Amino acid sequence: MNSIAVAWAVARKDLTAEWRTRELVPALAQFIVLALVIANFGFQFDSQSAPSIAPGVLWMALVFAGLVAFGRAFAAEREQASLEAMLMTPAAPAAIFAGKATAAALMLIVCEAVMLPSLALFFAVNISFGVVAAVLLATVGMALLGCLFAAMVARIRARELLLPLLTLPLWIPLVVAGGTAVQVEMGGGSNDQAMALLVDFDILFLVLTSLAARFVLED
Amino acid sequence: MSAIVAGAITQRYGSELALDSIDLVVDGGEHLAVLGDNGAGKTTLLRVLATATRPTSGTLEIFGVDAWSERRRLRSRIGFVSHAPGHYPALTVTENLEFFCTLHGADRKRIAIAIGLTGLADVAARPAGKLSRGMQQRLALARAVLHDPKLLILDEPDASLDAEGPELLKQLMLGRTAVIATHDQALANRLCQRTLVLRRGRAVGVPTRLRVVH
Repeated sequence: MNSIAVAWAVARKDLTAEWRTRELVPALAQFIVLALVIANFGFQFDSQSAPSIAPGVLWMALVFAGLVAFGRAFAAEREQASLEAMLMTPAAPAAIFAGKATAAALMLIVCEAVMLPSLALFFAVNISFGVVAAVLLATVGMALLGCLFAAMVARIRARELLLPLLTLPLWIPLVVAGGTAVQVEMGGGSNDQAMALLVDFDILFLVLTSLAARFVLED
Repeated sequence: MSAIVAGAITQRYGSELALDSIDLVVDGGEHLAVLGDNGAGKTTLLRVLATATRPTSGTLEIFGVDAWSERRRLRSRIGFVSHAPGHYPALTVTENLEFFCTLHGADRKRIAIAIGLTGLADVAARPAGKLSRGMQQRLALARAVLHDPKLLILDEPDASLDAEGPELLKQLMLGRTAVIATHDQALANRLCQRTLVLRRGRAVGVPTRLRVVH
């Protein structure tokens, strides 16, 4: 069985369902814009301090939006009992997981397409290619870890509470590296080291989650 | 050749004993009905036989191989209908079946066959979430036979089906080994050659051979 075909089918199924129902992405995009509006009023900043404050606001909004996006990825499957139907096929659990993580990451990227211009608007900071690359690289790692823990807690009643408790500590390396990369980029510096670190984290989390997916998804 | 050979299958949920040392042999092509009151262990037994749940202890061979260690390979030969329909409500009937066809690695031609067999042609373009409960059950049955399995495990498949339901089930079970859980003794008589009665997780007596109704 072709694992890429399975992963693509799972991702396409999730994206099609989201396109038709529009349950998640519009609400998340609104949440992100509202968070930026509140931060815009909450922080006293000028053109000098904006590049220091904006990355923190960006990562706070992204982290909380990510928790919602990745939490829904498996909660919906559990609620409609479709995860078991998927697992009752010969498809590799790692391929199913990859498809779920890809779809969740793409939905968050759509929200980021709203977030980054909004950040530039509210904080008057420069959104360069480096900022976009850092956010995208961090999104990959966040999606992998977030979806793994979302799958783990999906069958637990207190999943909304447990997901942040499990996920946030492991997202810290991504936020540190991503925050550094964005801050340096907004200040006009070079961020090669932080970007390399983000790539390393993505590779590490990709390997770990691929190995763990089978044990997490199956009973 | 026996399709299912189960030895001393026991399933515990904490201190609760859901299945207590069930022995079972189902021959290839045979249809077995599992009867019992609510909470007797029918669903648990069917989940174990479908490789959806690993038993606490006991041995299970399906088509001559160890069911748990070979479960992924076996799943291409097992069709399972559980209590919950497990569809994607935003996707149409055809899209739901296309998706599971990809996951099974089955031929796309099987989609039209499954839709035809289960009488879903008129609603093939309708989202699964907008189907009646009976039609959703037909979709679950279509998904179960999509990959042309040799073994069908059906948990109360007659639930929500209309008067044509038993005939539909008979057609789907034709040429396959099948284990169905039901409360309906008449349905069991009509569809199956043998029954296994469960009470509080235990098999009551020896599986009984029924009079086959043609």
